[in-house]
Amino acid sequence: MKQRDLRIRGLTKVFETSEGPVTAVKDVDLDISGDEFFSMLGPSGCGKTTTLRMISGLESITSGTIAFDGRNLSALPSSERNLGMVFQSYALFPHMTVFENAAYGLRLRKVSGRQIQDRVQPLLDALGLEGLQGRYPSDLSGGQQQRVSIARALAYDPDMFLLDEPLANLDAKLRVQMREEIRRIQKELGVLAVYVTHDQEEAMSVSDRIGIFRLGRLMQVGPPPEVYRRPTSLFVADFIGKINFFPAELETADAHGGRARLRSGVEMKVGHLERLDPDESVEYGIEAAAVVAVRPEHLRLAPDDAPDAPGTHGTVRRALFLGSIVRYFVICDDATKEVIVETPDPPTGVDEGSRVRVSFGPQHATCFRS
Amino acid sequence: MAAPDPIPTAGGATPNRGAFPRTRRPQRDWTPWLAGALTVGVLLLFLVYPIFTTLASSFVPQGRALALQNLSLVNFERFFTSPLYQRAFVNSLVVSLSVTAIATLLALPAAHAMARVQIPARNLLMSLSVIPLIAPPFIGAYSWVILLGRSGIVTHYLDSWFGLSVPSIFGPFGIILALSLSYFPFVFLIVQGALAAADPFIEESANIMGASRWRILRTITFPLVIPSIASGALIVFIRSLGNVGVPAVLGGDYYVLPTLILFQVEGFFNLNGAAAIAMVNVLLVMAFLLLIRRFQGKKRYVTLTGTTRGARRSTRPLDVVLGSAYVWGLMFLALLPQILVVFSSFAERWAGTLFPTQYGLGNYRLILGSVLQPIVNSVTLAGVATVMALAFGLITAYVSLRKRFAGRWLIDLTVMLPFVLPGIVTGVAYLTTFNTGPLAMTGTAAILVFAYFVRRLAYAFRSISAAIGQVDTALEDASTICGASWGRTIRKVTVPLIAPGILAGGILVFSTLIGELSVTIMLFSGAWKTVSIAIFEYLTSYRTAPAAAMGTIVIVITLTLVFTASRLLRRGMADLFR
Repeated sequence: MKQRDLRIRGLTKVFETSEGPVTAVKDVDLDISGDEFFSMLGPSGCGKTTTLRMISGLESITSGTIAFDGRNLSALPSSERNLGMVFQSYALFPHMTVFENAAYGLRLRKVSGRQIQDRVQPLLDALGLEGLQGRYPSDLSGGQQQRVSIARALAYDPDMFLLDEPLANLDAKLRVQMREEIRRIQKELGVLAVYVTHDQEEAMSVSDRIGIFRLGRLMQVGPPPEVYRRPTSLFVADFIGKINFFPAELETADAHGGRARLRSGVEMKVGHLERLDPDESVEYGIEAAAVVAVRPEHLRLAPDDAPDAPGTHGTVRRALFLGSIVRYFVICDDATKEVIVETPDPPTGVDEGSRVRVSFGPQHATCFRS
Repeated sequence: MAAPDPIPTAGGATPNRGAFPRTRRPQRDWTPWLAGALTVGVLLLFLVYPIFTTLASSFVPQGRALALQNLSLVNFERFFTSPLYQRAFVNSLVVSLSVTAIATLLALPAAHAMARVQIPARNLLMSLSVIPLIAPPFIGAYSWVILLGRSGIVTHYLDSWFGLSVPSIFGPFGIILALSLSYFPFVFLIVQGALAAADPFIEESANIMGASRWRILRTITFPLVIPSIASGALIVFIRSLGNVGVPAVLGGDYYVLPTLILFQVEGFFNLNGAAAIAMVNVLLVMAFLLLIRRFQGKKRYVTLTGTTRGARRSTRPLDVVLGSAYVWGLMFLALLPQILVVFSSFAERWAGTLFPTQYGLGNYRLILGSVLQPIVNSVTLAGVATVMALAFGLITAYVSLRKRFAGRWLIDLTVMLPFVLPGIVTGVAYLTTFNTGPLAMTGTAAILVFAYFVRRLAYAFRSISAAIGQVDTALEDASTICGASWGRTIRKVTVPLIAPGILAGGILVFSTLIGELSVTIMLFSGAWKTVSIAIFEYLTSYRTAPAAAMGTIVIVITLTLVFTASRLLRRGMADLFR
């Protein structure tokens, strides 16, 4: 049994452009192992695709190392790394049938025709492509082409399964279906997968762990619930899901959190403390020493005249009925922007134009402080 | 209940509609029908009719009328009885196939290197590669005599340094050499374009799966450009089969079908015999076309995707050095004839010596009195034909792309027909058809203009079709919705949007007509002698110095035109020709 352990240290990529060097990836450290499904997530231009291409060997490394099972990959050409890769455009060979596309890697490995048949056909069947093996890619739908490119990448039992935004060209419904299928077959074959996407919902739903990239840096790595609940930077907090920021001063701090005073003077308990990066503080317009971050579903709304409890105040500008939840937009002086509140059961007496009190439990509040 | 405010609607009958007058309701828009009828009419008269007349007269003995009782196979019998005809047939086949094979083999490594290696000055190289296509090959053909003739420069050094001798430049060697180096850019441009446009991820994915560079080239890259190679090879084959200038200059007594046609027409004015040879020529093209279809027809691989990333070009020193050496070397060889033409145009004394002994503008002074009229003639004829081809190409392309009607494919096919007809065949067809009868035009400027027009219509049609294809139909629909008629929409919306495409097509047509020889040599008259004929006459009477001076003028005019157009359109010169 292969050990399967991808180890990346200090990975850096500098592109030489006509306007001087541009750092696309900076000092990325990462360990992925076993049959883990790892996603690299971030906005476009964040370095996630460049990192994947360096792992694949299609892009050269400026500095740092990439090792697999203790073997340094950096010096190996991509053709000798034994990888399977799915491209955004699928990159199917238009002059070969579905079967020949899927068999290409095995033919390169000089596998006998009998064995190729035994390996490729079940794989095509498992991907719902039975009966299509004689077709050409141009005769297939987008979803079918996608399946062929998955079959092609996995047919020869590669050490790693790399996927570069594979679902970007599919419609919304098919995307949901395909991502489940990709994860199913990846777990069935027990192959280590590295997946690049800019869609956070996609990354959250399929991954064992997510790495969030920004401006060439790996900001945070963790399982989806962890990066959602415990973001370590304002960027990650803001990029994954929605969040509200309340500039504050941290009054007291201990092992279980602390007390933060918002701009209006209200003091709120916070359950978690994180470090605030001064650059991010400037970028998000936080003119205070600290900022309290709370997700919309963790905020509570109450009519302003309700029995007193700690909370900040605001006015409901708009209430959107979305079926399973109601989303409120609240104008609140204590927040950096309009506060978003989401709740499955709307409180009585709260309508558009109402004065409201906004509060949260300490276990759902993270305070970033310098 | 209060009456609601009247809402102005386009078709409503409310009395007090908006303040703007309605556009005149067209009874029925006949313009597309008129345009379609015009297309069909012109194509029938100037293309289909001459071809069928030629076909018919090839079955009639010389001097007899075109009538059913005169039908015979006597003209074709020559191919079984006359050694001259048989040799010309075999020679034509040998020359065309050799040129096609050699040009393709020369072009493929260059195309691949250009698309996949970072070669210095690539834009300049791309521009240079179109020069052999603009400058008529016969103008440079004599340069090979200067280099490789019995007392040629290269011959001399090969002999004195290595004791090597070259085969005689007069005959198959010279013809194949000159034509291969003139025509390889057709394959080069098409294949390079296909390689550059291919989805780079396809090769990358093969690489990831473990394929070596050579394996990728063999199993992915090459199979994908086979259709492009076939298209390029087809053009080369048709061109070399129909070229009359180069074998006339370098052939000596080595006859090929086009020079045999020339011989029949100039020597005996045997139009029926020429028609038969022309038909054999067409048969050869059709045979090759069918052969090529086997490579092309199977499947169209659309590999273009939304990706904006081009294929990566290698910067490995070995790749760059080898690639540059090959491409630059090939381009130098291809341009050598043109360079030598310009060089020798400044040679005043060049007799019995390896290099000229005196330089000056003497050759230009010599032709001063006789050069102007041919140039004016060429520019006039080519200019009128270009305008006609553009106007007609625009209407045909528009009708064919935008209007749905039965038989549209027939128009497409007919317009593209001259593309696969060797030039000399068009010449014979016009000579046969318009020599007598109601449309006798022999000896007039009109016959040349119409022949040029028909011969280059396909170019204009293709350029304009490509441009129209890129205009969103919604823009035209919007104009129609606003109330514009069909003609007005074309004038105000379509034409301004496709103007660059029209200009590119026009330059392409005009610049390749300035030095046109294959048709001109059949149809010109004393009053309408073109610059290509003047050069050809100098060359065949061995007055090479004035020929070089006049050739230089043609090269400079056409290059300036194409260069200006590429600047104006901000497109590479090579893109104008793809």
